[in-house]
Amino acid sequence: MAGKTETNGGGRSPFFYAGLILFAYAIIIALASTDAINSVTALILMVAPLGLVWPMMKAATRRIDSGGPGCFAKGEAQKRYMKRVAISTSLYLIALAAMTFGEKQYELTEPVRVVLATLPGLAIVGVFWAVGRLIIEEQDEFIRMLVIRQALIATGFAMSAASVWGFLETADIVVHLDAYWWAVVWFFGLFVGAVMNRIQYGTWGAA
Amino acid sequence: MKNRLKVLRAENDWSQQDLADHLGVSRQSVNAIETGKYDPSLPLAFKIADVFSLRIEDIFQWN
Repeated sequence: MAGKTETNGGGRSPFFYAGLILFAYAIIIALASTDAINSVTALILMVAPLGLVWPMMKAATRRIDSGGPGCFAKGEAQKRYMKRVAISTSLYLIALAAMTFGEKQYELTEPVRVVLATLPGLAIVGVFWAVGRLIIEEQDEFIRMLVIRQALIATGFAMSAASVWGFLETADIVVHLDAYWWAVVWFFGLFVGAVMNRIQYGTWGAA
Repeated sequence: MKNRLKVLRAENDWSQQDLADHLGVSRQSVNAIETGKYDPSLPLAFKIADVFSLRIEDIFQWN
C-alpha cells in the first residue's frame, strides 16, 4: 500500500488527511487530559479537524478513479461507501463531544442524557449501514465477494473475541469492557479481512 | 477451472483494464479470473464469452 504522504493524480493521499485528523485529535485529547485546555475549548477544537474530512473524501475519490495502486476497486458504490463512512465518523465525533461536554458542564435530565448517550451509538450504526449498502450496491461481483468475506471475517473475529472475553470477565480474570468496544473489534476485524483479501486475492475489498 | 482469458486478451491486444472496461467490472476482477483465483458467475461468464464472440466452453474448461 502507498505511503501516507504519497501524491496521486496531483493531490495528497487520503491517508495523509486521515493521519492529520488522528494527529489533531491526539493533540486535543492530550491537552484536555492534562488540563491545559478546558472541556469547552476541547469541544470547539474537536470540531475543527472535521474540516479535513472533505479533502480526505476528495483524495479517496481521486484514488478510486485512478484505479489505485492495486488496492482499491473503481466504482460508484465504493465512493458512496467512503462518503457514508466519513459522514458517520464525523457525526460520531460530534455526538461523542456533545455527550462528554453535556455530562461535564450541565445537570442534565434523564431523557436528555438518554438522547445524548444514544447518539454516538447511532452514528456507529451508520457505519454498519454503510457496509450493508456497499454489499447491496456493489455491481462488481468479485469486489462484492471480497466485502462479504471481509464482513464475515470481522463478525467471526468480534464474536469470538466477545465470547472468550465474556467468560474471562465472568471469572474475574479480566476487566469489564463496555459493550461498544465489540464494535471497535469488529472494525478491526474488517481490517484483518482486508489484509486476508489482499494476501489471497491481491486486492483489499472495502477500503 | 482453467481459462484462456489471458491468451484471448493478448490476441485482441487488450490490457486487463481494457477487458474490464468492456465487461463493466474492475481490473482486479479480470486479474482474479485470469489467474484462476476467482470463478465468475454464469452471467459474467456469458458476458465474457459475448465480448470475445465465443462460447463459454471455448474460454473456460473444467479440470
